[in-house]
Amino acid sequence: MTLARTPVVTLALFVGLALIAPLLGLPDPVRMDAAHRLAPPSWPHPLGLDELGRDELSRVIWGGRASLAVAFVASLIAGLIGTLIGIAGGFLRGFVEQALLRAVDVVLCFPPLLLALLVVTLLGPGARTLILVLSVLFIPGFARVAYASTLAVRSHGFVEAVQALGASRPRIMLRTILPNVLGPVLVQLSLAAASAIVLESGLSFLGLGVVPPTPSWGLAIGAARATMNQAPLLLLWPSLALTATILAMNALCDALRDAFEPQAAVPRTVARHLRDAVFGPKAAAPPADKLLDIRDLTIAIETPRGTVAPVRGVSLSVAAGETLAIVGESGSGKTLTGLSILGLLPEAAYIRAGSISFAGNDLRALDDASWRRLRGHDLAMVFQDPMSSLNPLHRVGAQVAEAIAAHGAPAGEARGRAVALLRQVGIPDAERRAKAFPHELSGGMRQRVMIATAIANHPRLMVADEPTASLDVTIQAQVLDLLASLKRDGDMALIFISHSLPVVAEIADRVVVMYAGEVVEEGPVSSVFAAPAHPYTAALLASAPGEDGAPPRAIGGIVPSPDAVIPGCRFAPRCTHYIERCETEPSVMTEVAPGRYSRCVRWAEL
Amino acid sequence: MSWFLRRLAISIGLVWIVATIVFLAIHLVPGDPAELLLSQGGVAPDPGAVADLRSQLGLDRPIGVQYADSMVRLLRGDLGSSLQDQSSVAQEIGRRLPRTLELIGAAMLIAVAAGVPAGTAAAMRRGSWWDRISGAVSGVALSVPVFVIGTVMVFVFAQRLHWVPAGGYVGFSQAPGLHLLLLAMPASAIAIGLAAVVFRMTRAAVLDVAAQDYVRTARAKGVAAGRILRHHVLRNALLPVVTIIALHLGGLLGGTVLVEYVFNWPGLSGLLVSAVVARDYPEVVGVVFTISVLFVALNFAVDVLFALLDPRVRAA
Amino acid sequence: MSKPATDEILVRATDVTRHFASGGLLRRGRPVQAVSGVSLELRRAEAVGLVGESGSGKSTVGRLLLGLLRPTAGQVSFAGVDLNVASRPRLNRLRPRMQLIFQDPYSSLDPRRRVGGQIADGPMIHHLWRRQERGGQVAELLGQVGLAADYGQRYPAQFSGGQRQRLAIARALATKPEFLVADEPVSALDVSVQAQVLNLLADLRRDLGLALLFISHDLAAVRALCDRVVVMYLGRVMEEGPTRAVLAAPQHPYTSALVSALPSLDPARRRTRILLPGEPPSAAAPPSGCVFRTRCHHALPACAETVPALRPASGPGHLKACIRDDLQPTQTAIRSNGNA
Repeated sequence: MTLARTPVVTLALFVGLALIAPLLGLPDPVRMDAAHRLAPPSWPHPLGLDELGRDELSRVIWGGRASLAVAFVASLIAGLIGTLIGIAGGFLRGFVEQALLRAVDVVLCFPPLLLALLVVTLLGPGARTLILVLSVLFIPGFARVAYASTLAVRSHGFVEAVQALGASRPRIMLRTILPNVLGPVLVQLSLAAASAIVLESGLSFLGLGVVPPTPSWGLAIGAARATMNQAPLLLLWPSLALTATILAMNALCDALRDAFEPQAAVPRTVARHLRDAVFGPKAAAPPADKLLDIRDLTIAIETPRGTVAPVRGVSLSVAAGETLAIVGESGSGKTLTGLSILGLLPEAAYIRAGSISFAGNDLRALDDASWRRLRGHDLAMVFQDPMSSLNPLHRVGAQVAEAIAAHGAPAGEARGRAVALLRQVGIPDAERRAKAFPHELSGGMRQRVMIATAIANHPRLMVADEPTASLDVTIQAQVLDLLASLKRDGDMALIFISHSLPVVAEIADRVVVMYAGEVVEEGPVSSVFAAPAHPYTAALLASAPGEDGAPPRAIGGIVPSPDAVIPGCRFAPRCTHYIERCETEPSVMTEVAPGRYSRCVRWAEL
Repeated sequence: MSWFLRRLAISIGLVWIVATIVFLAIHLVPGDPAELLLSQGGVAPDPGAVADLRSQLGLDRPIGVQYADSMVRLLRGDLGSSLQDQSSVAQEIGRRLPRTLELIGAAMLIAVAAGVPAGTAAAMRRGSWWDRISGAVSGVALSVPVFVIGTVMVFVFAQRLHWVPAGGYVGFSQAPGLHLLLLAMPASAIAIGLAAVVFRMTRAAVLDVAAQDYVRTARAKGVAAGRILRHHVLRNALLPVVTIIALHLGGLLGGTVLVEYVFNWPGLSGLLVSAVVARDYPEVVGVVFTISVLFVALNFAVDVLFALLDPRVRAA
Repeated sequence: MSKPATDEILVRATDVTRHFASGGLLRRGRPVQAVSGVSLELRRAEAVGLVGESGSGKSTVGRLLLGLLRPTAGQVSFAGVDLNVASRPRLNRLRPRMQLIFQDPYSSLDPRRRVGGQIADGPMIHHLWRRQERGGQVAELLGQVGLAADYGQRYPAQFSGGQRQRLAIARALATKPEFLVADEPVSALDVSVQAQVLNLLADLRRDLGLALLFISHDLAAVRALCDRVVVMYLGRVMEEGPTRAVLAAPQHPYTSALVSALPSLDPARRRTRILLPGEPPSAAAPPSGCVFRTRCHHALPACAETVPALRPASGPGHLKACIRDDLQPTQTAIRSNGNA
């Protein structure tokens, strides 16, 4: 956790000054010298005297003391009480939760300043009244934050695990939930402190906050307002101090937020067109019979730790009407390879080397307008998670129609075709369902909608990235059946990315096996699975519980990280056929039989 | 539709609870209410005056009766009479409320018109100098308290540059130009802080939405960039922006109190401050109640807007 | 395969039902019927697979058996103790004897504490260990799950998914339970890592004589690990019996469809698939009578009238919830060794 140092230091400075104010040997902030009121800066009064002849610098520093004291005390009290209430409500649920939520809703009905003014009417101004009011006002904020965080933490397995272990409820709330909720609570604390200072100074400005002669920034600003014309600088100093303190607190709040809810740091990336100009493709003549031809593709990603290459030297090709499967586990680079075909790599990733050609087009040299023509028309993609891949705010029929309209069809025709497509992918009552929103459909239905969107313009190539991974087995069967029938009826080539070998066996003609960013084996599905030519393929086949009852055989070890520099075979440390050559000799794809390739030097012995 | 009715019922319930709390606040505080109202600086007030005030405010009746009476009068629109001049609180509020509403409306308009485009532009040009400068400016803008902004504005634009009068009000029908000019300053004072909040939220929301899977899907469909921006990115980014405005409504209403004071804008909140100083309890209560109801109503409006924008809320 | 189960029944659920309320303030939605009328028994050292798709209620059953949820109706007992009527302290004392491991390895460990401390939580809460022996016991448990002894000092973020599952298993074993519920323990892991964890579970069960409830949607894993299997759909049991028998010759149309839906590597086994029409109905509005009838190719009008009871199918211990006896068990299943 690295907190931005500037706000912490600034804040510490102010707080420190306020704390040691009595020790600084400043002139008495309360002693008036009416004869010299509004005197300009001089020694020993570096900021001059205020409208009642009191030393301005001293009043600013002492004023900070009062403001900060009120703010911090109120925030801490509210924080303590509010957090406990919130955790209790979120964890114990039931009546406590309902009472909490209603009470919070009620207090939140009052704009803070108004409630403060109401209380001031009754109790009169003063620091103590302020602390009371502010504490009560801020409790709901903390309660809400603690409540929401508690609900989120509760859904995690480790809370249920501790319950299953038989821990008592107070113990769970204090030792398991509280530490995990502390982050958002701290953020709220800095927010509350900032709000408290704003409120206190506002009230003091109106003369309804801290009671004179105690100094306060708000009071000073209010008083300086009357003498703005004669001594404008008197307005400046307390305003500056107040603003700087609030600024520091807000910055601290932001820093805390970043520390506890880290967004993936997106590194500064080189402008894409510049990058392509430098690393641009050497146009290779694409072979005539291949619809898609990828040669030596290397994809790099900028990470905070440097550049890594999760895809290295990958070559594969697909002919028209053919189904190619890309098989691999997590970290194999299969998804990135699929995304690169559509030019949809995430922002931090780029193609460092290699070429991709589609129907004679060099995909690396395309401009935006050309990509737009290809995507959704000749090239289509179906993604893994249909829930996040559909816009939750638009009806599904409209989203299918959008794909059609993007390529020239008028709106009315697009709508009609969209309904027909939904029917074609097996959605019952298509006319009515087209008006549904994504959250109203089940997972299987959503995936069918995605497929309808992809086939809308009869693409020549469709890339499907784990399209059935999130679906139940019986629904998966329906979707695979749909894909198979679409293939049969059209002449669509399909790239099917998956981690599941049996699924691939059912749907694909050829398969490419990837491991740690490289292709390790390639060939027709039936022969590759019947007699694998690479130890990884064989190990993968053996690691699933056998259909004939054989127990699964695990692959020891873990996948190497993408930034590891390995001279030889990347699978060597985990390989049952390992020999010394494997680590020293670079592994190369060799043709082991017509149409079959393997990267293993020992393929002949497998 | 049932969702709407449910939310409406809850809002009405909240208004009733607010009324109860506000009207009985005088009893929630420790000590004798009449004595509290009259005591100044720790000096015990004259017992006769206390007794008079008690009967005037009706505090000598049993609390159940007081409560029922308050609620009945409230339903009739009677908010009591001012302790200062016996005038009808409700009438005075009715006169001033539109002016405060005008101020709030203008401030929100300016804030959204400035914040949303700027935030979108900053997100599109993330990392550029424009983005970093506007980020720093917005950080300062939301840290300066609204009364400081207002006071400085009066100092610079009125006293030094003489571009505008220092404050005051003139009816729209009488002098539209001057009216708008006088409105511009206080509305801008409020709008600066709110615009900064809207700017930040818009920027964050646009960045977040642009990274979502469904935007990738739109690109995969070959949809034009302009349409992706309007139809997918901005449309979805609206939700958190509306949410953040709702969260700041409380601060907004509080800000009107200070701004009306600084600029002498004769709205509702200006009435409040003088009433608090004079400890005119009925008037304070009337204004706080009205503004709180306004707050509940605004929150309800935001909820409805949110439900119109997000179909998932309607299903819940 | 494993040591034969004894006859003593350790965990018993009788006609258990669990509803979840839906809706919020001012509105009562229809309750979601997650589990309806389920009866289940586990003997010591027996491994039972609980199979179903999403919405089947299998996870809810697991938690009901552990007493983490109270049934809306019906009874759950552990080692003869009725979990419903037991007092909270009594229930807490039973906890060390029954443990749980879950699906998501990334949320099952508290990110802010060292793993050694978390493994020791159970025994420390129940005073099973003395302070001094804590380190040694944790090291031994880590060894049992195949991890180095000094891993106890690390934080969860430093481990991979497969390793975290082993840590979760170590934590569950610390209190020496007699009954372990594993809720989809390998679904979130890579295929090659799944094998590691499955093998570990099989070894532990054999060595420690645990009763294991293995909840999963993966029939192949269930086949490898479990003696008996129970198939659930929309909160009810459709079929149960010895794993081999049920998967080789399913007697219920749903089980047949489930088994046939499995993709297979062997082209010879790729049969004509049974495709179920439509989607599973909502658990808030289950169909009358047999809950599967709306998607069943063999439904009769009578299926809508009463909920079919579990009755004997062919073979010992093999039960099905279907009124029809005339369906041919489709030879579509995972075959056991030796059958042609």
